[in-house]
Amino acid sequence: MRNPHGAELFCARTPAWAGRIVLKMAELKLLLEHAHESEFATLRGYVARGGYEGLKAALGMDRQGVIDQIKASGLRGRGGAGFPTWIKWNGIPKEKNGTHYILCNADEGEPGTFKDKQLMEQTPFELIEGMTIAAVATQGDVGYIYIRGEFLDAAKAMRRAIDEAYRDGYLGQNILGSGLNFDLHLHLGAGSYECGEESALMSSLMGERGMPRLKFPHAPLPTIAGLFDRPTVINNVETYCCAPYILKNGGEWYATLGAATKNSRGTKIFSVSGHVNRPGNIEIEFGTSLMELLEMSGGMQGGRLKACVPGGSSVPIINAEACEKAIIGYEEMGDVKTMVGSGGCMFLNDHTCIVKFIWRTALFYARESCGKCTPCREGTKWMLQILTRIVDGKGQPGDDQLLLEICKQIDGRSFCGLGDAAAWPVEAAIRVFPEEFDFYIKNGRSMVETPLMATMSPR
Amino acid sequence: MAAVIGTDLVTITINDVDIQVPKGELIVESVKRLGLEIPIFCYHPRMKPVGMCRMCLVEVGFKQPDGSVRKMPKPQAGCTLPASDGMVVFTDTEMVHKDRKGVLEFLLINHPLDCPICDRGGECPLQNNTVFYGPSTSRYIEIKRHLPKAFPLSKYVTLDLERCIQCGRCVRFTEEISGDSQLAFRFRGAQMQPSTFQLLDFESKFSGNVIEICPVGALTSAKYRFRARPWDLETKPSICLECSNGCNVWFDHRASKFVRINGRTNEAVNEEWTCDQGKFGHDWYNDPRRLIQPLIRAEAPELTESAGEAPQAFRPARWADAYDVIAPRFQSQGSRVGVLAGSKISNEGYFLLQKLVREQMKSNNLDHRWTNHLTPREARLEHKFGVNPRQFEIAEIESFSSILVFGGSLADDLPIVFLRVRKAWFQNGCKVVVASSQATDVDSFAHLSLIYRPGSEAALAAGLLHLLAPQTPGVARWTPEAIQEATGVPAAKLREAAEALRSPGMGIVTSHEMLNKPKGPDALEVLAGLAHQVGGRFSVFSCAGNDQGAADLGVLPDTVPGGARVESPGLDTRAILGAAAEGQLDALWLAGCNPFELWPDRDLVTRALENVPFLVVQDSLETEAMAYASVVLPMEAPAEQDGTYTNCEGRVQRLRKVIEAPGDAKEAWRTYQELSLRLHPQAPLFNPSEVLGEISAQVPGYPGPNHEGLLGEGVVVPELGSNPDFSGLESTLGRL
Ligand SMILES: Cc1cc2nc3c(=O)[nH]c(=O)nc-3n(C[C@H](O)[C@H](O)[C@H](O)COP(=O)(O)O)c2cc1C
Ligand code: SF4
Ligand code: SF4
Ligand code: FES
Repeated sequence: MRNPHGAELFCARTPAWAGRIVLKMAELKLLLEHAHESEFATLRGYVARGGYEGLKAALGMDRQGVIDQIKASGLRGRGGAGFPTWIKWNGIPKEKNGTHYILCNADEGEPGTFKDKQLMEQTPFELIEGMTIAAVATQGDVGYIYIRGEFLDAAKAMRRAIDEAYRDGYLGQNILGSGLNFDLHLHLGAGSYECGEESALMSSLMGERGMPRLKFPHAPLPTIAGLFDRPTVINNVETYCCAPYILKNGGEWYATLGAATKNSRGTKIFSVSGHVNRPGNIEIEFGTSLMELLEMSGGMQGGRLKACVPGGSSVPIINAEACEKAIIGYEEMGDVKTMVGSGGCMFLNDHTCIVKFIWRTALFYARESCGKCTPCREGTKWMLQILTRIVDGKGQPGDDQLLLEICKQIDGRSFCGLGDAAAWPVEAAIRVFPEEFDFYIKNGRSMVETPLMATMSPR
Repeated sequence: MAAVIGTDLVTITINDVDIQVPKGELIVESVKRLGLEIPIFCYHPRMKPVGMCRMCLVEVGFKQPDGSVRKMPKPQAGCTLPASDGMVVFTDTEMVHKDRKGVLEFLLINHPLDCPICDRGGECPLQNNTVFYGPSTSRYIEIKRHLPKAFPLSKYVTLDLERCIQCGRCVRFTEEISGDSQLAFRFRGAQMQPSTFQLLDFESKFSGNVIEICPVGALTSAKYRFRARPWDLETKPSICLECSNGCNVWFDHRASKFVRINGRTNEAVNEEWTCDQGKFGHDWYNDPRRLIQPLIRAEAPELTESAGEAPQAFRPARWADAYDVIAPRFQSQGSRVGVLAGSKISNEGYFLLQKLVREQMKSNNLDHRWTNHLTPREARLEHKFGVNPRQFEIAEIESFSSILVFGGSLADDLPIVFLRVRKAWFQNGCKVVVASSQATDVDSFAHLSLIYRPGSEAALAAGLLHLLAPQTPGVARWTPEAIQEATGVPAAKLREAAEALRSPGMGIVTSHEMLNKPKGPDALEVLAGLAHQVGGRFSVFSCAGNDQGAADLGVLPDTVPGGARVESPGLDTRAILGAAAEGQLDALWLAGCNPFELWPDRDLVTRALENVPFLVVQDSLETEAMAYASVVLPMEAPAEQDGTYTNCEGRVQRLRKVIEAPGDAKEAWRTYQELSLRLHPQAPLFNPSEVLGEISAQVPGYPGPNHEGLLGEGVVVPELGSNPDFSGLESTLGRL
């Protein structure tokens, strides 16, 4: 698409890169390798392209062997928190005295993230196989995929795939003659971001109000008492999709991917959006730089890079300078004070008014707060009220400081991560772009005064 | 309650003080051991902790092997955190104080701060915590939330949505305690609000409790709303007599006028709950129809009636005049007089009443029972089988591993017993089987509900006996198939019920409501036998006010205080009414009872009251029966006098006078005492304590006036029967 304002297209290789040694990487497709082939969403096509090799390998090992492979792979949760997957799987009691559940978190509610949608629509068998491998490792009997209610196409694709897998003995009783029994069900959410939080997801699945539950050490871990108070593994779609490749090629092989980073292994799908030329899901190896990711997305559109929210709307925003230093990896992103999150990477050009951007983000969290705990319920609304006032030109001196204080009163005090997720972006925006808030509050209008800003402005 | 509290102790450190606490105890409770407090809103010790309000945040760390403390990065909710070894808790750090300020600021930004007109003002946890821990100013300049201020949830409960702090206590109460699940949150985020489903009526038998546990003035009593400020009220402990559970309550009054009832803690009885009958059922204290002076009918009723005129009006009288009129009508009249009693008289009153009847009237025509079956002494369980009819206390219900609830509707007949049975299930996983001829509230948590055809209760009991104690003589023919035929309960279901009940810790909960059922007494015999045979325990609880006290103290035609036989038994309730109707009685005394309400046969009651020449109505309130009265005596209500009352489990509890009685109303016991003295000069008993002394001398198990237990949870009168012999059960089984 042409830039209507003729602004120069921002190229990743700006002079700022000169002299820096950067590991250059290209897109590395593992999960998405065959995504564009419609055959891959059929069982036959999947098997023909090497599908179910991982499960077969897993069935040839003992349970602990499977977990050891996952451990060796260094796989960490792709849902946002980056928790080592093998620890969850290993936490399921080895002595089984009832149902074990395998849950897939496919609620994908984080604004900016849309990778699970594509995975389910185009590579549904990766997910099924991954969950079945988890069932092998943890003696799971029943699985649920909790799909965001709006993802009808994904749900349909999953339905088709599950039916096919049942038909050919890849699900149900005695899978592939191995004696393994594993049933897989779909459940569609009803439109609540909070239901992606794992304990709220379980409540929702159990027919209760979608509110989070007490966590360890206040209550047993979900691996001991999760869904219906039974041992439960819960992982993100992408996390499960990695498992077949790890089992097929070995954990050690997987760990070679991203070896340049401190502690992030494998590939990660980033849902790139914002002012880029080719938005979409891009799978890269950990260790890739953020600027390379931008380059893979066709570079900036409509203006220069101003800021980036690399991991979904809840992670702290960073400015262009930080973008240039950012290496994609769980710890590495921490160095520039942001996070990998769920990989919803939004690049913003210089026509973006950060105040308005954050106002929109705050609106989302205020609407999605479940209402259970005071800091999030009241704090998100208060922040929104203040930001609304600022955006409407009625800011008061000190509003920015008050916002920071409110963030502090929410962050770490709320019942679940949503409160934190609501506070971080606001806190970061004020920290990184203080002058924009200052200006808006003082002058009652945005510091960004381009015509394009006006057309993009949400309010 | 969230975590299982073990018996092992762990050492934790609270603000640098080491202390041993049970493993798993919630930190919010542990700090109390040191006299400290963690402020709370959503936490309630009787409900599962949820950690919603975040008021109780504390800093927590763990002792490391090298002695240092590693603090958790985030503050933790003290109300949900179970104590574990080496835990280090700080309740007094700068961070903790800041967090408390933060939470309070959040709670207050949308709070209307209409404290000056709020019912809760002065006794409001939100006010209290704000004064102690809150910020002194607000930084909030936005527009506050505006919501309905007087949303009627039910005829009793009015919700002020602006004041709600979304703590979820009310919601959890209906889920966890009352079990009717009437309340839930709707909407989310800052819009979240407690509500009934689809805004239907809040239908609960225990709705009043949510008003008390609401930490703000959001849930208000429709009756008490805007009627008083708490500091203008005087509060005294009282006992509720609206049913037989004997709930401990706070009786709030102002200028000797009743204002409201709140639950008062007695772990042995009602914990801290009340039912709605009790919570909202005391308005009659202020009723304009309260009787305030003795009334004597101006003309003898016989005269006016024969002239076909309307009965003459009453003339107010002095007590002495009233006694003068009454005394000759009753003195030594033997079987020509009768006395019927209600259930709200104190033990002292009942005792002196039966004394008056037996010693001065020389009569045994005396009864307090209003059930269909008026079981004679020999047929009562304690005398027929030598078995104690009350084998457990209310609190012991929690310890059963399985419970059979038999007959009636427990939540209506015995609301607090119902809550305990529910608690046994909710907290301890006790299996509950309920048998009734109708659907009841127990069904909602019962393992099984056996709905039998009305009238087949005894057969159903026999069916259970057959399965659980097949060796019992005479039970053989009550096979599940025969039971299915007789009761309509499927044989398979009965078998399943028997399996669920088959455990050494089985309890059978039933009530005097059974005495209204055609085969109720037989069913009770079989159930008592069943408990005996399987080593379980059985209790048949009385249902009305101080009924148990009346029974223990001999307000019966055939039993004297303490249970001994009367030489020549008098007439029971039915027979007294019948005799009066037939003109065989010269005088009838209604002591705090209105037969029109209590006796189902209205026709008999009308004929009885019409045909008895002289009728004394002694009551607190005007009743229908007054239309037939010759003399009306005003009676003090329970909270207007000192006295003791015996609840359904046989617990004697003392009630100290709370307010002045209106006008010339007199305590029942004093009325009987004064009349006795007129009829037969004797050493008087000057106060209820002296009467209680007399009772304790005569009735085994009854406490004396100085018994320590009367200061605390009350004194349970020990068992009566101790040599069970169920050989007579065979004939009961034979005649079913
Ligand atoms: C408010 C909130 C929303 C979340 N939404 C999602 C989601 O939509 N999808 C997801 O996979 N994880 C989500 N998470 C993270 C999950 O709680 C959980 O960490 C994840 O499902 C674990 O899977 P993983 O270990 O594979 O990442 C959310 C967390 C929070 C606090
Ligand atoms: S932080 Fe609190 S209010 Fe927000 S979503 Fe989590 S539990 Fe609900
Ligand atoms: S009405 Fe009262 S008890 Fe119920 S949630 Fe609101 S503040 Fe809590
Ligand atoms: S009292 Fe602990 S969170 Fe409410």
